[in-house]
Order: sequence, then structure tokens, then C-alpha cells
Amino acid sequence: MDVIMLDSSESSNSRGSRGEDLLEDDEEEEIKRTLNSVMDELVDDVVLGLCFETHRSCKLGTLFLDETDIESENLYRIVDQVGLDVFGQLPQKKQLECICPNCSRNLAASRFAPHLEKCMGMGRNSSRIASRRILANTGKQENVASDNDSEDNKDDNDWSYAVDRKSKKSRKDRSGNSPRRGKISKLKNGDGAIGQHDTKMGSSHTTEASGQIFHLYDSMTLDEKKSILIQQCGVISEHTKKMCTRSHRCPQHSDEQRRMVRMYLLGSQHGGLLDVDEVQVDIDGYEDGDSQSLRESLQWEAASNPSPADSTSTTHSTGSRKRKKGKGGKKKGAIARSSPSSMYEFNIH
Amino acid sequence: MSDDRRVRDAQMRATINQKLVETGERERLKELLRTRLIECGWRDQLKAHCKEVVRQKGLEHVTVDDLVSEITPKGRALVPDTVKKELLQRIRTFLSQQSNI
Repeated sequence: MDVIMLDSSESSNSRGSRGEDLLEDDEEEEIKRTLNSVMDELVDDVVLGLCFETHRSCKLGTLFLDETDIESENLYRIVDQVGLDVFGQLPQKKQLECICPNCSRNLAASRFAPHLEKCMGMGRNSSRIASRRILANTGKQENVASDNDSEDNKDDNDWSYAVDRKSKKSRKDRSGNSPRRGKISKLKNGDGAIGQHDTKMGSSHTTEASGQIFHLYDSMTLDEKKSILIQQCGVISEHTKKMCTRSHRCPQHSDEQRRMVRMYLLGSQHGGLLDVDEVQVDIDGYEDGDSQSLRESLQWEAASNPSPADSTSTTHSTGSRKRKKGKGGKKKGAIARSSPSSMYEFNIH
Repeated sequence: MSDDRRVRDAQMRATINQKLVETGERERLKELLRTRLIECGWRDQLKAHCKEVVRQKGLEHVTVDDLVSEITPKGRALVPDTVKKELLQRIRTFLSQQSNI
């Protein structure tokens, strides 16, 4: 009933007859009051709900749980200033490098995951490669105190042959293992003139400084050197006097530099052995093994070139494949030219 | 006159409340009010006040009645005008809809 009355009052209001103005105002006032009281009831309901909630949490002991002491509140206050982050620090570029927990090398963050795959041995062949690399690294560090295993290997020809075969296999595996690395080396090979210049510089330097640098590695046995050179680039830096621990296809050093180092390390050892005339080494077998290892390394270099193209062919477009093939062909030709000469040089030794 | 008015007032309020409850509009309005009050920070303010009351009375001795009597006046006063206006508007439209049917 009242509702209808209310409606009628509103409609009469729109009609606006002047004589009823006072009465309408009165009614409007009344309606407002009524509505306000209705609303207050609603508010009271909500307040009551809050009171129940507070009382409950009070009795459960959870009311003051979210409060902390002033000290820690000040310590962890959220900073709201222009130019600072919420911790009150200046936003600075984080260094995008991380240290590998396995081999403790410093790596760009973007390369970290692929490196970890290889280093930790999560990938297909990486565990074998990684363990081999670790072994080589430790061998390099403890080069003076060469461990018993390598000496055993030196004595036992069959055993070392088996090792060689294994390593050959692993090298083949690795050549197909990392298409990205292959791409990078290709890219670097692209800027030929500078690279070649570097190579010449490097090789001349190595010849001058070779006497100083290489004698550092004299204490290592031939097997150790071989195993290191099989796995690593091995080019010896003039500044740090250390071997490059990257793979054979490391873009910093050229094939020629690598060949020089191999010649010096394996060759000088060869000469040294002849001079000292150590009893334990059978020279014929030794020479065989040497040339074999060289052949292997050359084989590997030749085999490594087409393989990245193969492995990437599924992922890349035909255009890029064509380009790659062209480059690969060029590279192969260069190696084919260089390989007999190096073999020859080595045989002279 | 004032007696008459009071009776009419009570009658009208009862009718409106009845309508609101019958149609379920009251629950809807309450929910709306609750969200609005949380949005505008009313609830946090009142909760802080509740905590003060609890501290005064002691955690063990506080009752719901204490809380209600302490909080309700403050709660009513703290409701922002915009929320009040919106709620009144909703009630008005609801009532006019009801009388049209």
C-alpha cells in the first residue's frame, strides 16, 4: 500500500501542482527518512557481520596475527618513491652472467642453459663429453702429478687403442651434437680476412714464444696431451699461458692455430722422447698411434663440417641451407688443401 | 500527529523490508554494500577500531555486544556519501519497479 503511495507521490511530483508542494515535500522527507532507516539497517547488518568476525578471530587468537613489531615493519617498509623500486634500491642492470656450478666457468646467461645441458650431462651424449672434459681439466691442473691411470694407459697399448677408439666415436657424436655451435663457427669463418690476419699473427707469435710457453706442458705425458687436444681447442693464449678449453670449433682460434699447437705439443714431445730415449715407449707403435691420432683429428675436422648442415636442415629454411652448404664446401676445400701438408710436416718430425 | 506519523513510518518500513526480503533484493543490496565498503576502505578502518576496542576490554573479556555497541555508531558515520547515495538509488528503483508490476 505504502509502496503504491510512494509511487503516486513521485508521479504527482512530476506533475508539479503548486498547492500540494508543501505536502509533497513533507512526504518526500518522510520517504527519505524511511529509506535512510532501511539503509541503516543494511549497514548495521554489515557491521554486525564484522563484529561477529572480529569476535571469532579474537577468541581463536588470530586477531593480532597480522601485526608485526615496529622494527621489522620499518625494515620491510615498501618504498614508494620515484626512481626506486619497492625495496628502495636504484634499479640497476643485473649482470647477465652466471657461474656454472659444475665447472665454475663464467657464462653469459643466454648461453647458460645449453652449457649446463652439456656440462651436467642432461643431454643425449653430453654426459660422456662432460665427464671426459672434466677428466681432461683435472689432468691439466694436476699435470705435474700425473695420476696412475694415465701411466697405466701409457704402458698398455691395447688399452690406449681402445680409449682412442672410444674417443673417436664420441667426437663423431659431438660433431652432430650441437648445431648452434656449428652455426657460430660458421659465422666467424665468414669474416675471413681478419681471421686470417689473426691467424698469421698468432702463429708467428707462437713460434717466437713457443719455447717459453710449451715447456710448461712438457711435464704432461703424451697421452694426457693427446686426450686434452682431442677434446679441446687447446690453443695456448699468450697472455694467460693457458690452453683454450673450448671445443675444436671455438670461434676465437683458427684451425691453423690449432694445428700449430698440436704440432708443437705432440711434435716436441716426440723429439724430446727421442733424445731422452725412454725405454717404456715402443717407437714404432708410438709413431703409429701419433699419425693415427692426427688422421683421426683431421677426419673429425672434415666430418664436422657437413654435419651441422645436416642437423640444422630440419629446422632451417632451404635458403639458409644453401648458404650453409656453400660455406661448408669452401671450408672443406680449405681443409683438404691443408691436410696433406700438415700430415707431411708431421711425418717429417 | 507525530504518533500517527510514527505508526505510518513503521508500517512503511515494514512493508519495504518485507518486499526486499521476499524478492531477495535485500541480500543483493547487502552484498553490494559489503563490496562497496570493502572497496572504499571502510572495513579496514572499522577493523582497526575493533582491535582498539578489543585491546581496551582485554582479549578474554570482550563480547559481541561490546563490539556491536562500540562499533555500530562509528560504522554508520564512516559510510561514504557516495555509497549511501548509490544504495538509496538502488532501493528507490527497486521500489518503483515493484509498484509498477
